[in-house]
Amino acid sequence: MNPVAIAILAPLSAAVLILILRRVPAALALLGAAVGLLASIRLLANSFNGISSELILPGLPDMPLLLLASPLTALLSSLVAVIGSLVLIYAVGYMKQDSEKVRFFATMLLFISAMQTLVLAGDWILLLAAWELIGLSSYLLIGFWYRRPGVKSAATRAFLYTRSADLGLYIAVFILIADAGSSNIAATLKTGGQAAVAAGLLLLVAAMGKSAQTPLHDWLQRAMAGPTPVSALLHSATLVAAGAILLIRTSPMLPAETLLVIGIVGGITAVVTGLIALSERDLKRLLAASTSSQYGLMLVAVGAGVPLAALLHLVAHAAIKSSLFLGAGVFQHSRETTALADLEGAGRDRPGIFLGFALAALALAGIPPLSGFFSKDAIIAASLASPHAPVLASFALAGTVLTGAYMARALYILWHGERQERNVPGTNSALRWMGAGMAGLVTLAVVLGAAFPSIEPLLHASLSENVLAQILGLSAALAGLALGWFIPGARLLGPLLPWAQHGFAIAGGFDNWMVRPAFAIAHACERVERALYAAVLGVGQLGLNLGRAVRRSDDQGIDGLIFSLVRGTIKLGSRARALQSGLIHREMAITVVSTAVIFVTLLFALLIY
Amino acid sequence: MLPIVSLTVFLPLVGALLIMMLRKAPRPVVHAIGIITSGLTLLGALWMWSRGVNETGFAQIEQMDWMPAIGAAYRVGVDGISLPLVLLSALLFFLTFIYSAKVRERPHAFVVLLLLLETAAIGVFTALDAILFYVFFEVSLVSMYFMIAGWGHEDRQRAALMFFIYTLLGSLPLLLAILGMYLGSDPNTFDMRVWIDNPPLSGTAAMLALVAMLFTFAVKTPVFPFHTWLPAAHVQAPTAGSVILAGVMLKFGTYGLIRFALQMTPEAFRDAGIVILTFGVIAALYGAFAALAQSDLKRLIAYTSVNHMGYIVVGVAIAALALDPAIRATALDGSVLQMVSHGLVTGALFFLVGMLQDRAKTREMDQFGGLLKVVPILGWSFVLAAFASLGLPGLAHFPAEFQIFLATLQVEPVAIIVILGIVITAGLYLRAIGKIFLGEPREQWTGMSDLNTREVLTLGPLLILIIVVGIAPAWVLDVIHKTTAALQF
Repeated sequence: MNPVAIAILAPLSAAVLILILRRVPAALALLGAAVGLLASIRLLANSFNGISSELILPGLPDMPLLLLASPLTALLSSLVAVIGSLVLIYAVGYMKQDSEKVRFFATMLLFISAMQTLVLAGDWILLLAAWELIGLSSYLLIGFWYRRPGVKSAATRAFLYTRSADLGLYIAVFILIADAGSSNIAATLKTGGQAAVAAGLLLLVAAMGKSAQTPLHDWLQRAMAGPTPVSALLHSATLVAAGAILLIRTSPMLPAETLLVIGIVGGITAVVTGLIALSERDLKRLLAASTSSQYGLMLVAVGAGVPLAALLHLVAHAAIKSSLFLGAGVFQHSRETTALADLEGAGRDRPGIFLGFALAALALAGIPPLSGFFSKDAIIAASLASPHAPVLASFALAGTVLTGAYMARALYILWHGERQERNVPGTNSALRWMGAGMAGLVTLAVVLGAAFPSIEPLLHASLSENVLAQILGLSAALAGLALGWFIPGARLLGPLLPWAQHGFAIAGGFDNWMVRPAFAIAHACERVERALYAAVLGVGQLGLNLGRAVRRSDDQGIDGLIFSLVRGTIKLGSRARALQSGLIHREMAITVVSTAVIFVTLLFALLIY
Repeated sequence: MLPIVSLTVFLPLVGALLIMMLRKAPRPVVHAIGIITSGLTLLGALWMWSRGVNETGFAQIEQMDWMPAIGAAYRVGVDGISLPLVLLSALLFFLTFIYSAKVRERPHAFVVLLLLLETAAIGVFTALDAILFYVFFEVSLVSMYFMIAGWGHEDRQRAALMFFIYTLLGSLPLLLAILGMYLGSDPNTFDMRVWIDNPPLSGTAAMLALVAMLFTFAVKTPVFPFHTWLPAAHVQAPTAGSVILAGVMLKFGTYGLIRFALQMTPEAFRDAGIVILTFGVIAALYGAFAALAQSDLKRLIAYTSVNHMGYIVVGVAIAALALDPAIRATALDGSVLQMVSHGLVTGALFFLVGMLQDRAKTREMDQFGGLLKVVPILGWSFVLAAFASLGLPGLAHFPAEFQIFLATLQVEPVAIIVILGIVITAGLYLRAIGKIFLGEPREQWTGMSDLNTREVLTLGPLLILIIVVGIAPAWVLDVIHKTTAALQF
C-alpha cells in the first residue's frame, strides 16, 4: 500500500477501531500513530532520495482527488506525525483519570488524520475538505468537556471564527480552479495577474482565521477550554499551523503587493498578540497569545519572500510550543489551575519539568544553540533582505523582543514563590507518561536546529547568511528576556494594560461586528416572515368574505340579470350549506376549490378560442 | 423484459389497495404491509439503478396508449437527473414506514395515504408525459394535505389548509403552461421527450409559459416569498409527513425547474436567468437568516430547507446562464446532487427532531440542555446530521455545494455572496447543538431513553449514506454527469 495512504489511514482506522471496540483506547491510539509515523518517515526518506509518490482518487467529475508526497509535504507530514505521537504519549498519562478516553483518543486520531490529509493534499478540493475537517475535530476537542461552563461557547467560537475566514479559502479555490481549469494545486500555482492578487488576499483571510492573526486572534485564547494535550497539538503542528502552511505552499504564486499585505498582517499580529501575552493572567492563555505572535512572525517571513524561513520556524515552533503546553499541563495537574497567580513557584515543585519548560522557553526566545535561534535568525535575515526591510524588520525585531519578554515573565512567575507538594493519587505512573512525551518534544526543541541545514537542499532553497541579523536577533532576544525577568508585565505595558487584557478588541470585537448584525438581520427576516404569514392568511380571509357576500346576494335572488346562473348557484349554495360545518378551514377550502375550478374553466375557454 | 419502472411506480398503489381490502387487519399487519411494499419498491428502484441511464435522452422507457386522440400516453422512463431522485424517494419512504410502525391512530388510513404518496412521488420523477406528470403531482398534494390534517400537531388544520391553497393555486399555472406547450407542439402531443428535444414555444409565448412554470415550482421548492406554507406545514406535520415533504416533495419543485422550465423553454430561461438567479440567492440567504431567528427546532430545520433549496435554484440558473458546456454540467451536477443530499440530510434531521419530540413533547430548544450525556446515540446522530447540513466536507452536502458555488463564481461572480449562507448555517446549527446537547443535563430529562432498534434502523442507512455520498460522491455523480454532460440547449 502506498505510504501516502497509510499516513492518513493508520490514525483514521485506529480511531474507527477505538470507537468499535470501546476498549484499550490509549494502546490503539499509540499503535495507529506509530504506524502513521513510520509511513510519514518513509515518505520523508523517499524525498531525500528524490522519490516522490502520489495517489489519485476519484472525486468530482474532471476534478480527481490527489494525494502528493513532495519534499515539502513529506516534511510536514513527518512533523505532524512526530508531534502527534509524542503528544499522544503524554495524553496517556494526562487522561488517565478521565472517564471518556474512548471519545478523546478517537477524536485526537481523527484530528491527526485530517491534518495529514491537509499537508499531503495535492489538489484544492482535498485540501479544502481537510481544512474544514480539522476545524470540526478541533471543535470536538475544544468542546471535549462539554458539560463544563464556558466550554460550549469556546468551541462554538473557534469553529465560527475559522469558518467565517474559510469563506476566503472557498472563494480563492474557486478563482484558482476557474483560472487554471484544474483543481491540481501545482497547476494553479502558475496563476498570475488579477486572479493571483485576489486569490492571494483571500487565502490570507483564510490563513488569518486558522492561524489566529489579528484581528481574528481572539478565538485561540478561548480555545484553552479543551484538555491540555489538545492545546499542545492544535497550537503546534495542526490546526493553527494550517494557515501558515497554506501561505507557504502557495507563496510561489503570490504577487508582490499581496506579499506585503501578508507581511504587515503578520507583523501587526506579532506585536499585538505579544503585548496580550505580557498582560495575561493565565499561563495557557499566555502561551496561546504567544502562538498567534509566532505565526505572525512566520507570515512576516512569507511576506519577505522567504517561505523557507517561515517553514523552519513552523517546524521549530511546533516542537517548542507543544513542549511548553505539556509543561503547563503538568503544572496544572499539580496545582489544579493555570492561573499565573496560583502557579507562583510551581516550577520548584517539579524541577525536571521546569527545566524542560525553561529550555523550550529559551528556544522560543531565540537563544543559541536551541532550535528557535536558527529559525528566528532566518526570519530576521529575510525581513532585512526584503525590499520593505524598514517595515518588516522592525516588526520582526519587535516580535522577538516581546517573545523574550513574555517567556521570561512566565519563567519568573513559575520559579519565584513557595514550593507546594501535593499528592494527587495515582499521578506517578501518569507523570511518567507525561514526562516521556514531554522529554521527546523538548529534545526536539533543543536539537532541531541541527537538522535545518539538511532541509535546505531537500527543498532546493537556501537561506542567506547574515551576521547583522544574528547580532540584532540575539540582542533583541536578550533584551526581551531581561525586560521580562526584571520588570513585571503589567508595568511594561503601562497604559496599554487594560486594552491588552481585553485582547485589543476593537469596539467589542467579533461579537459586535459579526454576531450582532447576523442576529439583527435574522430578526428582521423573522418580522418579514410574520408579516408575510399574516398577509397570506388575510388574503384567505378576504376570499372567504367575498364568497360569503356572493352567496348572500344569490340567496336573496337580487341578481335578476343572470337568473339561470343564480338558480344554479342557489343549488350550489344549498349544497355548500350542507357542507358548511362552521369550521373556517373547510369553508376556505371550498372557496379555493371553486375559485380554482372557475379559473381553469376560463383558461380552457381562452385557450380554445 | 419486466416493466421495472412501472412496477416500481405502482407497487405502493397495490399495497394501498390491499390494505383497503383488509379493513379488519390488525395494526401490525397493516404496518408490515407498508414496510414490505415499500421495501419491494426500494428493490425495484435499486434494480432501475443497476440498469443505469443512457448517454443521451431517457432510458428504461415503458409506454402504452392512453388517450391517443389528444396525444397523451402512459410513458415512463429515467435519465441521470431523475434516477437518483427515484432511488432517494424509495429509500426515504421505506425508512419512513419503518419509523411510522409506531403510529396507533388510524393506521389503515395512514399507511394507505403514505403508499399513495409514494406512487405519486416516484411517478412524478419517472413520468415522461405531461398529463401523467400533472396527475401524479396533484395526487401527491392531496395525500399530503390529508396527512397533515389528520395526523399533525396542535394547529394542523390551518397549516394543512395553507399548504393546500398554496400548492393548489400554485400548480394551476403549470397546467396552463402544459396546455400551451401542447398547443404549440406539432403534431400536438403531451410527450415530454418531444418537448425537450424540440421546445414547442418561442418568444413571448415561451416566456409566458416559463413564468407560469416558475410560479408553480417556486411555490413547491419553495423560493422566497412563496415559502410561507413551508414552516407552517412542517411544524404541524407528523414526522413522517415532514420527512417526505422535505426529503421528496420539495424536489418536485427543483426537478420541475430543470425538467420543464430549463429543458422545455431554454431560451426564455436563459433570458430570465439573472432574475431566477437573484431569487435563488435571496432565498438561500433569507432562509439561512430566518432559520437563525428560530427557537423551535423543527421550524429551524424547515427554514434551512429554504436555504439549501435556494442553492439548487442558483445552480440551475447558473447552468442556464453558462455558455461553456463544462461549467453548465458542473452546475447541474451540483444541483441534482444537492437534491439527493438534502433528502438524506434533512430526512435524517426531521427524523431526529421527531424522536426528540416523541420523548420530550417539546421542540423548544431553550427547554433542553446537556442531552448528549443522556441520549448519546441520538445526540451524536444529530451532531453528524447537523454538520452535514452546514456543508462540512466528507459529508453529503459538500460536493454538491462546492460544484454549485464553483460554477457560480465562473459565470456570475457577484452571486457568490450566496456562500455567506454556509457561515450562517454553521452558526445556527452550532447554537442548536449547544442549546440542546451541550452543558449540564437538566434534571427533567435525565430519565430520557436513547434510540431504540426501530429508530436506529430508520436513521442508520441515512447517516451511512450521508458519509458515503460525502466521501465518494462519484457513484452518484457518474450517473448524473452522464446526462448533464450531454444536455443540449
